[in-house]
Amino acid sequence: MALFYCQNVPESREADRQALEEACGETMALFPMPCSGRVEPVHLLRALEEFADAAYVITCPQGACRNFEGNSRAMKRMERTKSIIESIGLERERVGLIVCSKENPKSLAALAQEILEDISSLGPSPALGPVGGN
Amino acid sequence: MNHESQLKKVLSQGEFAVTAECGPPKGADPDVILKKGELLKGSVDGVNVTDNQTAIVRMSSLAACSLLKTAGLDPVLQMVVRDRNRISLQSDILGASALGIRNVLCLSGDHQIFGNQPQAVGVFDLDSIQFVQVVKGMRDDGVITGGDSLDHKPDMFIGAAANPFADPLNFRIVRLAKKIKAGADFIQTQCIYNLDRFESWLSMAADRGLTEKAYILGGVTPLKSAGMARYMKNRVAGMDIPDDVIKRMEGVPKEKQREEGINICVETVSRLKELPDVKGVHIMAIEWEEAVGEIVKQAGLHPRPLQDKG
Amino acid sequence: MITGEQKPVEEIRQMIAPYKRILVLGCGSCVAECSAGGEKETAMLASALRMAARMNNEDVTIEEMTLDRQCVMQFVIQLDKVIDPYDAVLSLGCGAGVQAVAEMYPEVPIIPGLNTEFLGETKAQGEWAETCLGCGDCMLYHFGGICPLARCSKQILNGPCGGSVDGRCEVNPDIPCAWQLIIDRLDKFGGLDRLEDIYPPKDWSKKQGGGPRKIIREDQQK
Repeated sequence: MALFYCQNVPESREADRQALEEACGETMALFPMPCSGRVEPVHLLRALEEFADAAYVITCPQGACRNFEGNSRAMKRMERTKSIIESIGLERERVGLIVCSKENPKSLAALAQEILEDISSLGPSPALGPVGGN
Repeated sequence: MNHESQLKKVLSQGEFAVTAECGPPKGADPDVILKKGELLKGSVDGVNVTDNQTAIVRMSSLAACSLLKTAGLDPVLQMVVRDRNRISLQSDILGASALGIRNVLCLSGDHQIFGNQPQAVGVFDLDSIQFVQVVKGMRDDGVITGGDSLDHKPDMFIGAAANPFADPLNFRIVRLAKKIKAGADFIQTQCIYNLDRFESWLSMAADRGLTEKAYILGGVTPLKSAGMARYMKNRVAGMDIPDDVIKRMEGVPKEKQREEGINICVETVSRLKELPDVKGVHIMAIEWEEAVGEIVKQAGLHPRPLQDKG
Repeated sequence: MITGEQKPVEEIRQMIAPYKRILVLGCGSCVAECSAGGEKETAMLASALRMAARMNNEDVTIEEMTLDRQCVMQFVIQLDKVIDPYDAVLSLGCGAGVQAVAEMYPEVPIIPGLNTEFLGETKAQGEWAETCLGCGDCMLYHFGGICPLARCSKQILNGPCGGSVDGRCEVNPDIPCAWQLIIDRLDKFGGLDRLEDIYPPKDWSKKQGGGPRKIIREDQQK
């Protein structure tokens, strides 16, 4: 899975990232972003095209964006990305967005684990083809 | 056959004129239009024939006018600028005149998106005011757009529409003035339910001397039901139906609503008759031509002054 | 600016189906501004098409490139160096761009990836609106800088019609009534008397009289 996350998310400092990457190994590629509003559909598509069975975004809580509208922008772009992958026959759930809760903040690692569980039923992506092949 | 405009004659004699609307069928049967004409005959001075109204394909207005003319009525050819460019519009004016049609109502037309041909191109080569001006140039000077001369002028009594209830209010009179300046001999208005607003529009028109320059015919439409009243209020652009009219329709049982619709209409016509600046009424009984004779009788407008000469 | 929108992926896939090596060609001008065919959108579409091909076991190569302008020969010739291996170009330029590329490379099929829409302006982020017809005879002076031909649904030069309500067009309440805008604007600088005149029929020969139009400027020629 490719996971793009806003660096405002709790426990998402560099050390947390390294720990999570070690724990997950190959199953997760992590992309810290200064703001989730920077994530473009093309980033998610490229991840799906090149290595990921799913590509997700974690944003800071609603109203907490340092750039005011970054996370709401990310949501709109997520909708667009979903419609694009749907148009080529991929499941909409292969991309998704989690908004970090203000009342019940969870760590990056906990959120990542939740996403992995959510998408576990999806299976390997048909858009990736055989391993090592193209 | 009499090739004079009966409508023009009635108006110029200072009589209170009555016109009614008649919609051609969605088919090629001439009897449909002739039957409608039969219902109206004797009750009206002129019959407006709609031109693919609400952008739905129907028998052509020109053909239907010709049929009515043959049946002894005085048709008012409605022409919209939505479907024809200036070549075709001018050509049809010549053709209409040749067929003995003596009245034309120049309109923009409902936008094609509302009808059953939403994929059609909207022509709008001329606007309705320009069209009035073009017809006047053809009739008075024998000249078409571009300046070429005609070898025989068409004879047309020229009409235009006005909506006293549309936005922007401050500009309705300016537009009316432009239509009259362009050459409109008579004006038929949008359906009147809000008489107060109509009267204030009328006095503004009178202040500019417009009621002296063109005959104003007040438009009326009998309501068939309370549902129709609500629909027109909410869904028809530029329609002003006050709440007390709707309440009045709702206040009678369903089977009496048509009668009440006619009562309201007759009252409106009677009040319009009392206004010196209103020279006639235009009754638009949509797919309900039977109502016209009733309204005309109850409003004391029967018999028509020239009916036996039609 | 000329605006456009990407065609549905399904339609694009049908058009490119006969080809094995496809260059998705973006344009960095107008269609980039309206987020339809710039570098980003080109990368997105190419990526989506590659995935779609893989999911359907199609053996195709899809690559991407974006020119600064597709409608100007000096930019199009940059393709000289790269076009050889491709057997089709999927252009995300406007209709003018597609045709300029096609003219330059008569032997390569050029497929349009956009529906070109209109001449317009960026109203807000993600919102573009038609404001000009390119009629060849600008009348904006008379109408307070608001074009009734492009912005009134019935192209009325002697407006307004009787259908606008609260300043919105009867065709669609999302459309502001052009005539309300004209009147409001002329009113601000005392120009309402201009609207008492009857504007004569439009001279459409400036737009379509001689077939496709051309501008020749000798002082600009070589």
